[in-house]
Order: sequence, then structure tokens, then C-alpha cells
Amino acid sequence: MTISGLAGWLPFAHALVARQDLPIPAWLFAWGASIVLIVSFFALSAAWREPRFEDERWRSLGAGLSRALLGMPAQVICGLAGVLLLGVSVYAGLRGTEAPDRNFAITFLFVTVWLGFPVLSVLLGNVFKMFNPWRAVGRAVGGAFEAIAGQRFAHAVYPERLGRWPAAIGLLAFVWLEIVYGVSGGVAVGLEPHSAAVAALLYSGYTLTMMAVFGVEEWCERGEIFSVYFGMFSRLGAFSVRDGRLGRRRPLSGATSWATIPGSTAVVLASIATTSFDGGQEGVFKGGIEKGYDWLVEGGLEKTASLRLTDTFFIALCFAGVALVYLAGVRGMASVKGAPPLRKLTPGFAHTLIPIAFAYLVAHYFSLFVFQEQAQFGYLLSDPLGNAHTDLFGTASWGIDFKVLSANAIWYVQVAALVIGHVVGLVLAHDRATAWWGDYRDAARSQYWMLAVMVAFTCFGLYLLSAANG
Amino acid sequence: MQSNVMRVLVGIAAVAAAVILLIVLKDDGDDKSGGGEQTAKTEPVSSGGQGSGQKKEKPAIPTIVIRNGKPVGGIAEISVDEGEFVRFEVDSDVSDEIHVHGYDLMKDVEAGGSVSFDFPATIEGIFEAELEGRGEQILELTVNP
Repeated sequence: MTISGLAGWLPFAHALVARQDLPIPAWLFAWGASIVLIVSFFALSAAWREPRFEDERWRSLGAGLSRALLGMPAQVICGLAGVLLLGVSVYAGLRGTEAPDRNFAITFLFVTVWLGFPVLSVLLGNVFKMFNPWRAVGRAVGGAFEAIAGQRFAHAVYPERLGRWPAAIGLLAFVWLEIVYGVSGGVAVGLEPHSAAVAALLYSGYTLTMMAVFGVEEWCERGEIFSVYFGMFSRLGAFSVRDGRLGRRRPLSGATSWATIPGSTAVVLASIATTSFDGGQEGVFKGGIEKGYDWLVEGGLEKTASLRLTDTFFIALCFAGVALVYLAGVRGMASVKGAPPLRKLTPGFAHTLIPIAFAYLVAHYFSLFVFQEQAQFGYLLSDPLGNAHTDLFGTASWGIDFKVLSANAIWYVQVAALVIGHVVGLVLAHDRATAWWGDYRDAARSQYWMLAVMVAFTCFGLYLLSAANG
Repeated sequence: MQSNVMRVLVGIAAVAAAVILLIVLKDDGDDKSGGGEQTAKTEPVSSGGQGSGQKKEKPAIPTIVIRNGKPVGGIAEISVDEGEFVRFEVDSDVSDEIHVHGYDLMKDVEAGGSVSFDFPATIEGIFEAELEGRGEQILELTVNP
């Protein structure tokens, strides 16, 4: 047993995480990084010369199944469930306890939905579309307008160049709210339930307005943060809906057509950047954050504002860093003989980063999700306000069993997620290169660059989880 | 072109290998010193535990001193292996409740009083203990597998 003073002075209270992950030990870090390098060198000699994922080979799963899962009754039920759950969250946030771990709102919005839907989307397809509360309200209002006025509501034309930029900026804003905004007196205390509820209401107002202006489906495809974000992950999976019919496609093939809308590259880069910031704020960025904070406080700025500003700067820095690595890789590819023009090439490989973004999410939040879902389906379900007045399902006194995951189990999941994400990213990049370069040797040459990009991201991901990031 | 690319690749591999080596070596050093500390400190703790009836010459059980509602010398750090016992004392000048997260242990402490914790480390991970009323972290407990 050892005891010593902790050098750092800026305490980060963890509102939700009662048990934090132990850093990956050095030997596992070394193994993980070595496997990544070895796999990557094998990838250089990847055998296939014809693209395999550019064509989805979509096949319907049958009309009966489509009707049951996508028909009007299912849509109404799922839509209502979405609206109800959003309502419960807002109510719990406004009326419930301010202790984030005892209030339904925080765990539901930031863990169950934010971390749960990416996993569901990969496994089952874009299910969020069915549950999206704003889409449900928007469509109901649109339908009512049509029935009364006898004509469709005239929407404005969405500016094509704006693309998915609103979603990319929204994604950064959402994570900013989650991990930066909750500051009290120079200490990061996590977002309070009341603030989360107010933010949800503001976002609902904004989203419904945008849907009224540009149309429900148009805004969901481009501007609505959650639809775009979860939709991105659903492209990795095998199930998708075409013209109202449920079908199966070759896994990963859906990703190849995802980044055709402008701003998509920014969405996937933002996803990697925000997870990086969260993983590094108490490690590799900690010294920098403390310095920036000190500097601002000495400059006369108030403590809360100082910490928020410093964190914001570091999120921006993460985004710039991640973008720079990717853009450098694209520049490199552009120098290879037979390369398409840069403006086609830049979004052309953005989808190959989706598996990396997903791996980052799994690696960083897997244990949090497993622990916090026990709370979600235990005490938070029975006592959503967290004030011990209700016990709806008799589970209000349940706790979280932190022993369900050993440290070793968490480490292996983390390393496996990053290695698998890396391999899938390489597969998609190689496939795109074979499609875009006429000569397979040039295609392979172009991939040295993407390989360097992915090794950088994956090793950085491993580093963030390791003891070195301390 | 080909040789250029190969050079770049070899460069990347060399840098990556160097970084990995650096981290491995650095942590190995840490592990050794950590292990040394551990054996050095485990004995007095266990002997202190047995001879708890005697007057303590040295504070064998780590004591976290709270002054003005804050831990003196910053947040304390205790590191044990799973299965060992976590023992520490809190000597506080404020009255509050001490909460060890994860293990969910709570004990009240009076102003000017002290309270001791002694429990088996059954859950792996990193945990906080704080003065619950003030939301002030006083300890970071690490339980290694």
C-alpha cells in the first residue's frame, strides 16, 4: 500500500463515473501497438484489386417484415416513445435532484442515448430515425397542416454547400456542453441536470424551427446532430431501409456513399477530436489546460470562464490536430500518379475514419456504459427524479455492481476495439483506392499515406488509454 | 517514388518503434520503483495493524489531514492490489461525511475528530473519496488487478 501526494491540483470531479478505468499497462500497450503495425504492413500487400464495397448489393428482407417494423403503427409507437422519453428527461432535469448520478436526465441523454445508439446503429441499422422525437413531432405537424390546408407546406431550399456543417458544429457544441460547460469556481463538476433540461428544450425549439424551414427529412439528413451522428455509424452495418423497405446489404458498403454531402468530413473528424479531448483532458492535455487556466486567471478573468475558455481552446486544438493529420494524408495521396483532384479526394476517404471514430467511442466509454446502464435500468427507472419519493418498478434501491467487469476485461475490449477499428478503416481505404486509381500499384502507393494516418490515430488512441497518458 | 515511399515508411516504423520502446522502458522503471515502495510500505502497515493497541511511534496507517475542509498536501493517493486491505485514517477539522465512491462506504467525521477506514479491495479500478457535503475530493484510490 502506498500513499503519496497527487501532483496535479486541478481536481476534476466525476459526476457519473464512480469507478474509473485503470490505464492500460505498458506490456498491453506495446502488444496493441505492435499488432497495429504488423497488421498495417500486411495491409500494404492486400490482395484484392477490384473494389468490393462500392456496391451495396442491397436485398430486401421481405415485405412482411418491412410492414411490421416500418409500417405506420410501428412509426407512431416508436415516435411516441421518443417524445415521451425526451419529455421524462426534461421533466426530471427541471424538477429532479441536481445530483447528476441520481437524475434520470443525465444518464439517459449522455449515456443511454448518446453511447447506446451508435452501437445499436451499427448492429441494427438507423433505428434512431424511428425514435427521433423531433422528427416525429415535425411529421405530425406537417401531416396536420396538409390535412387542414389541403396542400403541402412550402419549405425553403436547403443551401447545398451548407451540407452537414450544422451537424458538425452541433456535435462539437453537444460535447462542449457535456464536458466543458459544467464548471463551478474553476473546477469541472459535470453538467447539472437542470442545465441539461434547458439545453434539451432550446435544442428542441431550434430543431423544430429548422425542420419547419427546410423540411423534416432534409434537416435530419444534414443538420440534426443526433440523426447525422447516429446515421453515420449505421452506415457500417448490414441493415438499411430503401424506399420504405427493410433490406440487407454487404456490411461496410453503406459507408462508401456517406460522405458525398459537404461537411461530412468535419462530422467524423469532430467525433474523433471530441473523444480525444475527453480522453486527454486529465492526461496529456492536463498540463496545458492548467497553464492556460492559470494564465487567464492571472490575467484577471473569472475562474469559471477561464476553465471553460481553456477547455474550449483545447477542443478546438484537438479538432485542428485531427483534421491536420487527415488532410496531410489526403495531400500525400494527391501526389500519387493518377490521383483524382483534391476537392474530390478530401471527402473521398472521410468514411474510412468512421470505424476509427466508433473504436474510439467503444474504447473510451465501454465500461462507463456497462456501469451506468445498470443505474438506468435500476434506480433511475424507478426514481427518475432522484429524490427518493417514487419507486415505480421496485428497483429504486438497486445499486451498480462494479465487479461485473474486471480491469483486464476492460483493457482487452479497449485494445480489441482500436485494433478492429484500425483494420476496418484500412479495408475501406484500400477499397476506395482500388476504385479510384486505375492502376492497382498506384492505388497501393496512395494507401501508404492513409496507412500513416490510421496508424497515427490508432496509436494515439492507445496512448490516451495507457499509463503514459497520466 | 517507390524508394521515397519506402523511406517514409521505414521512418514511420522507426519512430513508432522508438515511441513504444520509450513508453515500455519508462513504465518499467515506474513499475520497479512502485513495487519497491509497495513492499517497503506494506510491512509497517501490517505491523501497525497488528499492534494497534500499542502507542504508534510512526503513523503506519496513512492519515489524510483535512484543514479548512481541504486535504493538506493535495489529494492523497493510495494504491493497492486487489485482495489487499485498504486502510487509512482521516483527521478532519470540519464535520462532514466521507464517501468512498464505487465501494460506496460512508462514515461521518466530527470537527476535530478522526475516522478510520479498513476494507478489502474487492473492486478493481480508480476511485475517489470525498467530503460528501463539500464535494471536496480527498483521496484517489487505485486498486490494481
